[in-house]
Amino acid sequence: MSKTLTLFFFLVLVAKAHAVDFNRDIRPLLAQHCFKCHGMDEHGRKGELRLDHRESATGKAKSGETAIVPGHPESSELVRRIFSRDEDEVMPPAHTKSVLPEAAKAVLKAWIAEGAPYEAHWAYVAPVQASLPRPGTHPVDSFILDRLAKEGLHPSPEADRLTLVRRLSLDLLGLPPSPAEADAFVNDPSPDAYANLVDRLLDSKQYGERWARRWLDLARYADTNGFEKDRPRSIWPYRDWVVRALNEDMPFDQFSIRQLAGDMLQNPTPDDLVATGFHRNTMLNEEGGIDPNEYRFYAMVDRVNVTGTTWMGLTLNCCQCHTHKYDPIAHTDYYQVLALLNNASEPTYHIETEEIRARQKAQSEQIGKLEAELPTKYPGGEAMMRKGFAEWVASSQKSASRWEVLRPVKMETTLPHLELLPDGFILGNGDISKSEVYDLTVRAPVKGVRSLRIEVASHPDLPNGGPGLTYYEGPLGGFFLSELQAFQKGQRVSITGASATNDAEEDRISDASPAKPTSKKTSKKNNARAALDGEMSSGWQVLGGSGVGHAAVFHFAEPMDLTDGLDIKMLFEKHFACPLGHFRISVTTGDHAAATGLPAAVEAALATGDATKQDLLLRHFLETAPEMKEAVAPLLAARKSPVLGQATLVMKERAASNPRITHRYHRGEYLQPKEEVTPGVPAFLPPLPKDAPANRLSFARWLFAPENPLTARVTVNRQWQAFFGRGLVKSLEDFGYQSDPPSHPELLDWLAVEFRKEGWSLKKLHRLIVTSATYKQSSRIPPELARRDPENILLARGARFRLDAEVIRDSALQAAGILSLKMGGPGVYPPQPASVTTEGTYGKVDWKTSEGEDRYRRSLYTFTKRTAPFAMATTFDAPTGESCLAKREVSNSPLQALTLLNDQMFLEAARAMANTVVTESRTDGDRLQNIFRRCLTRPPAPDELASLHAFLQKQREKNLEDNTLWTVVCRAILNLDESITHP
Amino acid sequence: MNSSHLTRRHFFQDCAIGTGKIALASLLADSAQGSTTSPNAAALSHSRPRAKAVIHLFMAGAPSQLELFDNKPMLTKFEGKPLPPSIIGGQRYAFIRPDAAVLGPRYRFSRHGECGAELSEMLPHLATVVDDIALVKSCRTTQFNHAPAQIFMNTGFSQPGRPSMGSWITYGLGAESRDLPSFVVMSTGSGISGGAACWSSGFLPSVYSGTRFRNTGDPILNLSTPEGIGADTQRDTIDLINAMNQRRLRLDGDSETATRIANYEMAYRLQSSAPELMDLTKEDKATLEMYGCDPKVPSFARACLLARRMVERGVRFINIYHEGWDAHSDVAGNVKRNCGVTDRASAALIQDLKRRGLLDSTLVVWGGEFGRTPMVEASVSLGRSMGRDHHPQAFTMWMAGGGIKGGVTLGATDEMGFNIVEDEVHVADLQATILHCLGIDHERLVFRKAGLDFKLTGVEPCRLVQQILA
Repeated sequence: MSKTLTLFFFLVLVAKAHAVDFNRDIRPLLAQHCFKCHGMDEHGRKGELRLDHRESATGKAKSGETAIVPGHPESSELVRRIFSRDEDEVMPPAHTKSVLPEAAKAVLKAWIAEGAPYEAHWAYVAPVQASLPRPGTHPVDSFILDRLAKEGLHPSPEADRLTLVRRLSLDLLGLPPSPAEADAFVNDPSPDAYANLVDRLLDSKQYGERWARRWLDLARYADTNGFEKDRPRSIWPYRDWVVRALNEDMPFDQFSIRQLAGDMLQNPTPDDLVATGFHRNTMLNEEGGIDPNEYRFYAMVDRVNVTGTTWMGLTLNCCQCHTHKYDPIAHTDYYQVLALLNNASEPTYHIETEEIRARQKAQSEQIGKLEAELPTKYPGGEAMMRKGFAEWVASSQKSASRWEVLRPVKMETTLPHLELLPDGFILGNGDISKSEVYDLTVRAPVKGVRSLRIEVASHPDLPNGGPGLTYYEGPLGGFFLSELQAFQKGQRVSITGASATNDAEEDRISDASPAKPTSKKTSKKNNARAALDGEMSSGWQVLGGSGVGHAAVFHFAEPMDLTDGLDIKMLFEKHFACPLGHFRISVTTGDHAAATGLPAAVEAALATGDATKQDLLLRHFLETAPEMKEAVAPLLAARKSPVLGQATLVMKERAASNPRITHRYHRGEYLQPKEEVTPGVPAFLPPLPKDAPANRLSFARWLFAPENPLTARVTVNRQWQAFFGRGLVKSLEDFGYQSDPPSHPELLDWLAVEFRKEGWSLKKLHRLIVTSATYKQSSRIPPELARRDPENILLARGARFRLDAEVIRDSALQAAGILSLKMGGPGVYPPQPASVTTEGTYGKVDWKTSEGEDRYRRSLYTFTKRTAPFAMATTFDAPTGESCLAKREVSNSPLQALTLLNDQMFLEAARAMANTVVTESRTDGDRLQNIFRRCLTRPPAPDELASLHAFLQKQREKNLEDNTLWTVVCRAILNLDESITHP
Repeated sequence: MNSSHLTRRHFFQDCAIGTGKIALASLLADSAQGSTTSPNAAALSHSRPRAKAVIHLFMAGAPSQLELFDNKPMLTKFEGKPLPPSIIGGQRYAFIRPDAAVLGPRYRFSRHGECGAELSEMLPHLATVVDDIALVKSCRTTQFNHAPAQIFMNTGFSQPGRPSMGSWITYGLGAESRDLPSFVVMSTGSGISGGAACWSSGFLPSVYSGTRFRNTGDPILNLSTPEGIGADTQRDTIDLINAMNQRRLRLDGDSETATRIANYEMAYRLQSSAPELMDLTKEDKATLEMYGCDPKVPSFARACLLARRMVERGVRFINIYHEGWDAHSDVAGNVKRNCGVTDRASAALIQDLKRRGLLDSTLVVWGGEFGRTPMVEASVSLGRSMGRDHHPQAFTMWMAGGGIKGGVTLGATDEMGFNIVEDEVHVADLQATILHCLGIDHERLVFRKAGLDFKLTGVEPCRLVQQILA
């Protein structure tokens, strides 16, 4: 297409004898045909010649020739070479397969003749507001009409009011107006009728849903993890936040800063944290045996690329592997931007709300009450309780050992960061791999140590509450200790036995391949002893979950003296990353140590006979005595299911003590990390502020600095495209050297500056656009216009394009009167053929079709499964959430016809509409009117009515029963081109 | 993308509307349109196209080349011992440790056909057509996990988002069939790891996406007219829709409306052409027997037979996924089971195409996303034994038909079957070769997006596998 456009400008040039414009005419040519070898990438540069800099281009090249002699094309080597017919001389060389059109050669020559002026690339210079060419006219029209006049074109007349209300409603809400709403506007005599309509629509809750969908295309939002397993994830609170933020008209800068760095704001609100879900929409590969850090790297690469597309209009992705061939972005620049985004951990956040806090308080009060009541529940009363307690203490004392907690003096690991907490527990965080070694040294003046205990316990900072760090593929929050070894002075220490508190539990290993139902459970293979067997594939495993607490006890062959220290090595190895996250080490000199299952404090009180701990012991007795099993059940149940807010995925900046280091990756390959890079932005753009740390938050704010040339333009352009089907810059995702120049550069810049001046308000921007006469034009395409401006670049008419998948479905449900306007919540499952999700993909699921109103919710809320997306949406070009999308394809296919004709959901809509219409209206004519207006807003024309009556007549001859008959009619109208086209 | 919109607009403006003869890209274009309006005319006809259609039998999960094609007696000799680290290099594995012991081949090999190619006893049927196929024992990929490797084999990139081979090819060549989709995907196993990304059109217009033919319900989604609506009512309805759309077209002059009218006609035709395609009652008993196909039961054999019928009807690119080769445990049992399902039908497809004179114009490709390790996979905790892990360094594929020289064995691995020692064929080389057989220069089949020229084979240099070209 760029060719068509370029050609278009050439024609303009020739016709109007305009001067050559470097940005418009020359740079795209140089970028496309020359920069690969004569641009900023020094690796690919030929002949020491750069054409992207005037000094270089007009200086002597390696050959001694001068490529460009300003004003003298005849002496310019460039001109000689591009016109050369000698295969060895001609530029671009034949082997590049890049052919410079004759017209382009002429333009280059003309430009050199004019003195070869260079200009900064339009998109890299901050926009300024030009004065309006037609003061007093709507600013948008001012620019559009000015250009039309220059082209000798006239604007189209305003569309009729029914079309206007339909267009506005579809654009702003993604829904057609009801006939009553349409009539209210049509019959509104007020001169402000249109403005009032716009205001009403902008205030509608459905506005946020419509515009959220467009934003979620960029955010690559989906409800599953992607790749092979494609398991569900909970991130819908982020989607709902987007809807709320747009409905509140949150200024676009705040909207963006919260999504990029909400966690780093001072005192972030729960919403600020939820907003950081934007970059948690990356995919997560949970396939057996992947390298998790490789896929984290891909996720980071995706974050950089998506950031480039969404806010900067830059194709940063090229620079993952090498310096950009034509845009001024170096290979290192890429990793500097990556470094800005790279210092976050990726936890699951349970949203704190007032309601949740109240419920948590109630729960803890209830637990307290249940605990306090336990003594009264003892069978047989207090005397019996005292007796039982005394017996239990006496017997338990025998098995209890005195343990001493040891605080490691050295903690080294292959990857994660270990932090020693005040209670002697060690907390892990940071990146983890499939094979982790923890190397801990303990030292204490204790002799005769017989056993070592490792306690593991949940911690709220860990995935699924810990105690392990496993966050994908395996049991979340679990760990797998493959081997444990001890050394003293470099000599292996013999460990002869082990037991763990969960040895009696059933063996539950998460397998990478689908579970084999035939395999019989034999004896437990994974237990504490398995961590001593030298076999890496077996070990001690604890599954994750909040409230989990276990311990393993290891016995030394000989009593040990720890005065000079003991090195403990733990190996965590599996086909998924599985190291420990929260644990504590203690030792005992006692000779009967065992994994008693007693909490450490209880065992300590028993072993020491500490009389002050009677309450603690009694409570433990009451909670564990077999005779209390029934009485204690509600308490244990309450503890097991703590009240937690809705889970969602967020970003959390890492602690200053453990920053993540970023490297440059040679050729963009994960296995080739090179030198360390510091965070920063590409040099051709304004620098980050000097007085702020170079981090994610500063970067997010920098995007909105007044001197930033890109963000406002890119955003305004995307909004424009939503209304006109085409951006002022056609390539919504690319504002670089190779992008098509803006069709109306002054308008783009005017709007960009206005957007910023108006406080980054999207609603104000939308209002500005839709109140223009340009927007209100009829979209009819007269043959003359079809010929002169087939893409409607000049906007001599209104825009026509097929509606988005979601708008098509929602409109049908709305017309049928069955659309539910319930907002928010987890994804829902509207009807679709079962085979969509049960066949063909590994991560198959049954599509459990929703019942009740969830069956007919707005399409925004349809559960999005990446590897098997909702079929109707795919058929109508909705993205899968696997990558960021700035602009959807608009296709037109027979599969779309089949969907609208035969899909169950559309049939349900047709049937529901038929039922209502048959009751609401009596005569054929009335019914047809009713259906028509529901679907198309306007009434049918006489010839249309005639066609419909003829159709009715013919079907009646087939003895179609009334309901089917009208269902078929509704279905036909829902299938009309007009039903699915922006009017 | 809008170039194809534009060309389409252009096309329709010069065309009588509603005759049912209007052709569209991908689903609908006939080859005349393909050659006149393909945005990639330059990429085409650089060489004589040998094949018009491709059937890619995608053995998902990755079959063990060591039990099927690549005979390594040394593995038996060294069974139980680890490979020296010098061979392993830095290779990462999905499940095993690099020091795992090697496992000898579980099956016997012998030579077959005039060419004397070596095949295992698990492939008795393939052995009968071995002179028609070219075995490439030196295939290599960069990916060692299923989803990325499958996506890589299909799209040349390991992450979702790029166009698949079938999309590129239909984008480049247009379609031969006016009544059927030109890029069809079937799946006959446990499920494809890469999911819909494997047949996505990526950034190409979505009409170039593969159309799934399904095993349950309608073969193409929403193919049947809803219950309670008769065939004549369906026809009347389409006539009504198209008449009203004609009116709209006259009033508004939007060529997209004309395209929509054509698409309703095509949808109607599809409603009869797809069931006709799926109806195997016209196939004689001998043919069904040859494939081992029960016409009523979805299976790999049935998919192969359908693929032949699709080729006859002008479908351009057919993907048949057979999943289940992921032999982490009991590789012998896995190979036996999967060969039992695929060997006969794969060979039958070659024979059937050949006897109908279609093999010369149909390229058949057989293979998985990577190979399997010479080392054994065993895990106490996962209950695995005698399996093989993922092996990207070397695996075997075979090709046959249009443009391919039969009876060739190309490439070799070292004595332990670990590394390639002769004629390495990278995934991109395979892709370039497949395009070449269709008369497409992989360097020139490009799509410009965000200022970049994308192509199936990526940015690294790659080469045609000349040795197997006819």
